Amino acid sequence: MSEQVMNQNENETRQVQEESSSVERCLTFESAGLVLFLSTNYVIEIINGYPITYLPLLPPYIKGIINLRGQILPVVDIRICMGQSDMADSSGDTSGQSCIIVIDVDSLPMGIIVDSVRQVMDIDLQDVRPIPVKRQQKLLDGMVTLNDGSVLMSFDCHALAECRY
Amino acid sequence: MDNGMESMLDTYLYETNSLLDRLDEMLVADEKAGDFSSDDVNEIFRIMHTIKGSSAMMEFGALATVTHHIEDLFFYIRDTGIDSLSQEHKKELFNLMFRSEDYLRGEISKIENGEPLIENIDDFANDINIFLKKISGDSGQDETAGNDVPDADSVSRDVSLPDDPGAECFLHVFLDSGVGMENLRAYMVANAVRECGIDFRYYPQDMESNSAASQEIIENGFFFAFDSQDAASQAVDILKSQNHISSYEIVTPEVPEPPKEAPAVVPAPAAGPAVPAAPAPVTGAAQAKPAAQVKTGAPVKQSLISVNLSKLDALMAIVGEIVITESMVTASPELQLLPRDSYDNFMKSGRQLRKLTDDLQDIAMSLRMVPISGVFQKMNRIVRDMKQSLNKDVRLTIIGEDTEVDKNIVDSIQDPIMHLVRNSMDHGIEETAQERIDAGKDPQGELILSASHTSSEVIISISDDGYGMDPDKLLAKARDKGLLVKPESEYTQKEALSLIMLPGFSTNQAVTEYSGRGVGMDVVKRNVESIGGMVSITSEVGVGTTMTLKIPLTLAIVDGMKVTVGSSIFTIPIANIRQSFKVTPEQIIRDENGNEMMECLDNFYPIIRLHEFYHLDTEVLSMEEGIVMWVEASDRSYCLFVDDLIGEQQVVVKPLPVFLNPFNLKNYGISGCTILGDGNISIILDVLSLHTAAIENV
Repeated sequence: MSEQVMNQNENETRQVQEESSSVERCLTFESAGLVLFLSTNYVIEIINGYPITYLPLLPPYIKGIINLRGQILPVVDIRICMGQSDMADSSGDTSGQSCIIVIDVDSLPMGIIVDSVRQVMDIDLQDVRPIPVKRQQKLLDGMVTLNDGSVLMSFDCHALAECRY
Repeated sequence: MDNGMESMLDTYLYETNSLLDRLDEMLVADEKAGDFSSDDVNEIFRIMHTIKGSSAMMEFGALATVTHHIEDLFFYIRDTGIDSLSQEHKKELFNLMFRSEDYLRGEISKIENGEPLIENIDDFANDINIFLKKISGDSGQDETAGNDVPDADSVSRDVSLPDDPGAECFLHVFLDSGVGMENLRAYMVANAVRECGIDFRYYPQDMESNSAASQEIIENGFFFAFDSQDAASQAVDILKSQNHISSYEIVTPEVPEPPKEAPAVVPAPAAGPAVPAAPAPVTGAAQAKPAAQVKTGAPVKQSLISVNLSKLDALMAIVGEIVITESMVTASPELQLLPRDSYDNFMKSGRQLRKLTDDLQDIAMSLRMVPISGVFQKMNRIVRDMKQSLNKDVRLTIIGEDTEVDKNIVDSIQDPIMHLVRNSMDHGIEETAQERIDAGKDPQGELILSASHTSSEVIISISDDGYGMDPDKLLAKARDKGLLVKPESEYTQKEALSLIMLPGFSTNQAVTEYSGRGVGMDVVKRNVESIGGMVSITSEVGVGTTMTLKIPLTLAIVDGMKVTVGSSIFTIPIANIRQSFKVTPEQIIRDENGNEMMECLDNFYPIIRLHEFYHLDTEVLSMEEGIVMWVEASDRSYCLFVDDLIGEQQVVVKPLPVFLNPFNLKNYGISGCTILGDGNISIILDVLSLHTAAIENV
């Protein structure tokens, strides 16, 4: 009797493991009119209200640097990266919803400005398909359709960290 | 080894290493003076004693034995006085001590690496003993007499009170069984008593120098002889604070039986407290008093502790957050709603808090910084050794050894500096004094090791006044080795000198113990570059060579002047600022391209408008409204036009995030940034590269 229970348990855990191999907890957020998601493995925290210090002579998508508890982080406005410069200007950094997601890509910490953060949800990475448009967005590397029919884009933070945009 | 042992080993290694560092420092300083000061003799004795004790505890027998012999030696020297040694003996003693230090260091590093230790140390121990015999033989027969006599009569004295007619009473003390080195422990107890100013004699008299006395102490305990009962009872108080004492008893000479019987009943104190301890009830006051007394007499301990670097980083982060939170609280708009009185009170407390957090931040920031003197002191030793083996007379001058450098940097520049010092000693300085005299130089060579800070770099230079390097010879050599990459005539002097930093380039024909394998300079360059620094060489034939290491500070404290341009705050290192003043438009002179210049002290200097160069929005555009700062870096001098001065502040330089490296802001005058007291970030200007970017490259 107890053996059976054990076996069942094992089966269950095995199932869970199999699922978890492709399912990841992801943070979903809105930016430049798109809904994006990013694995929570990269996310350190979400902050707002930090003053951004402007650094001269940098491309416009680098907003500057912030002081996060003594650590200096660069802040990138991905809306400008994705060619939405006018939107970024109009919504501005002061709007109530916009905030900075602090991410750590291969121990390279940085902040990205987004319009708003939605939620954390499980996304099965096997369901993520490539973007079928030829001239695809350089910072996005896939898309997924949720059960409710909405579409999320996968945000490629490695591309951001390696300046491939 | 379990965890406890592991951490004990760590402590042991750390402690022993710092003691050896201290020893090294003393030896080098004393050798320079040509004499040991009596303080140092005491200190060396103590160091050896400590290492011996802890080595024995960690069961490194060979180390304990060697240090024991050295301890014996220094005990003798301490007793007879250093002046009883002849110059020759002193010299020999120095060599012996340096050898011992090397041996100890070697063994310690083997322990660190987990290698087996040399167990056979008889030769080395013999050398020490021979030396001890030699100096003791020379200075009289006391020592031999002292050694032999007690051995001979120890048997007869076994069970009787020591022969001391002057003593009114004796204190008979037994140590814990099996503690090891009983004679020295007994001696330590005696010392503790003596440090409290009590006058007494102890028996056996030779217990600290004669290890044979151990056996006797194990069997019969040891005696203190006091001239009064008071002194004896004071000593009893002190004994209570000492370790490893199993029992003690006050004995008066009128009743000689108890000490006689105690050993008879209990042949060894192994059986525990056979002689009942003096039944003084231990009160708090009685305990505290002797402890305090002992403290005042104890040698001054190094007031340093070692802390894990990651803990320091965590501390920095938290302090940073406290500072931000503090300003968030005091600046919160809700406070305005408070009644006038409470608001004032609140702000008063707020200012107090601000002051404290500022202090806290300063301290936290300075924790990671260590003076470079540790590295420089080691060079003393290298120069000293090479002086002897190469037979060159060189003096080492050290400048700026209190320059503070981030801990990580200190660790990584030691090897490069060592290489450079060796190179200078080996190849730089002339082979013989005669050669120097012929060249019209001081027969004693000079090696200058200096360290200083600039805004963004530590500059360490190693200069000698030796041969100097001939660029033509270097070029010829490089040609022979096929290392040239362009026509010989196109090499500037600087480039020619830099050839020696190529892999596989060695100017010396013969490979010596110290250098000449053609890897040295190559490795130096690589090591320095790996921490973001650079090596440059200047040399003049017949005058000397200077090697300069420029190493960026990852975290250095700089005195800076804060200035504003638009909404940005910049920090200009004070060291670069010559003057700041208001200028009227009439003082401005323009060239045909509209570049502005102005006259300062009969010279014309270009003006860089910071807001124009960095494309910043500002309302301050006319000369009268803003302020001009006359700045200078190495040989460049110019003026900067900024909006306003905020004030002076010590800041910690932080590098810009790695993410921004591709944009090369360093080449455009931005060397780093710093966090201001209110949590805002200020950009640190590099006056030199700003000039290069703004003026030379236009």
